[in-house]
Amino acid sequence: MFERFTHPARESVVAAQVAARRLGHDRIGTEHLLLGMLEQPDSVAARVLTELGATPAAIEQEIQAELGRAPSGIGDAEALGAIGINLDEVRRRIEAAFGPDALCGRRAKRYRRGMLSDHIPFTPRNKKVLELSLREALRLGHKYIGTEHIMLGMIREGQGLAMLVLTRLGVGPEVLRTRILDELREAG
Amino acid sequence: MDSATELANGLDSKDPRVGLRAVSALRRLLEELEALQVTNARSQGWSWQDIAAELGVSRQAVHKKHAARRGLLRRD
Repeated sequence: MFERFTHPARESVVAAQVAARRLGHDRIGTEHLLLGMLEQPDSVAARVLTELGATPAAIEQEIQAELGRAPSGIGDAEALGAIGINLDEVRRRIEAAFGPDALCGRRAKRYRRGMLSDHIPFTPRNKKVLELSLREALRLGHKYIGTEHIMLGMIREGQGLAMLVLTRLGVGPEVLRTRILDELREAG
Repeated sequence: MDSATELANGLDSKDPRVGLRAVSALRRLLEELEALQVTNARSQGWSWQDIAAELGVSRQAVHKKHAARRGLLRRD
């Protein structure tokens, strides 16, 4: 499949891995792929996203916020404190018995970099997005897979952190899809 | 942070956001503690039967829930 990727699409995948590593995450998720595409200034995805105001800085900020935030904005420690459980004390005792990091959020664990391995795998969802990008290209009758198709694949999959973050920034799936298709029509 | 201030009242608060959030946080903590304790028990040679008895659940339940994860955590 990668042989059909355009240069910016390939570079996006490479940049996604770099982004995941830089953020200390141990999986390459859709959010990293999104950041990777934004780094390719000549790509359709980056052009459309920038036009819509989704800058790398804003996206990265939303990603960081999302990883440490529940919908209500109330942290676990605060919430447990409200019912009389001191999470710091629980953690202190567990770590005294089992060592540091014995207790850390599942999400935190997922996003903690592997200590021994350089390889950062794609999340299953991100693989799905790349598969869907091929399907989007075929649907449009294109023989190549560009960042526009990856973006359309991301929209179609719909459940990744990338789409959540974009929606938070006011870039919903419908408007994004429309703008990408417009852009392709103008170019083609 | 307004939510943090709200939480100062915690227990007295009738705001469902606070109460529900506490429940979900407690569930997460429970799951993590269970995973940690089961892993520890297994590494000390405990049987699934003994672990289940202490947890107050069936052997099948505890095995189904934790055996797969144990596989991932196995030391090579």
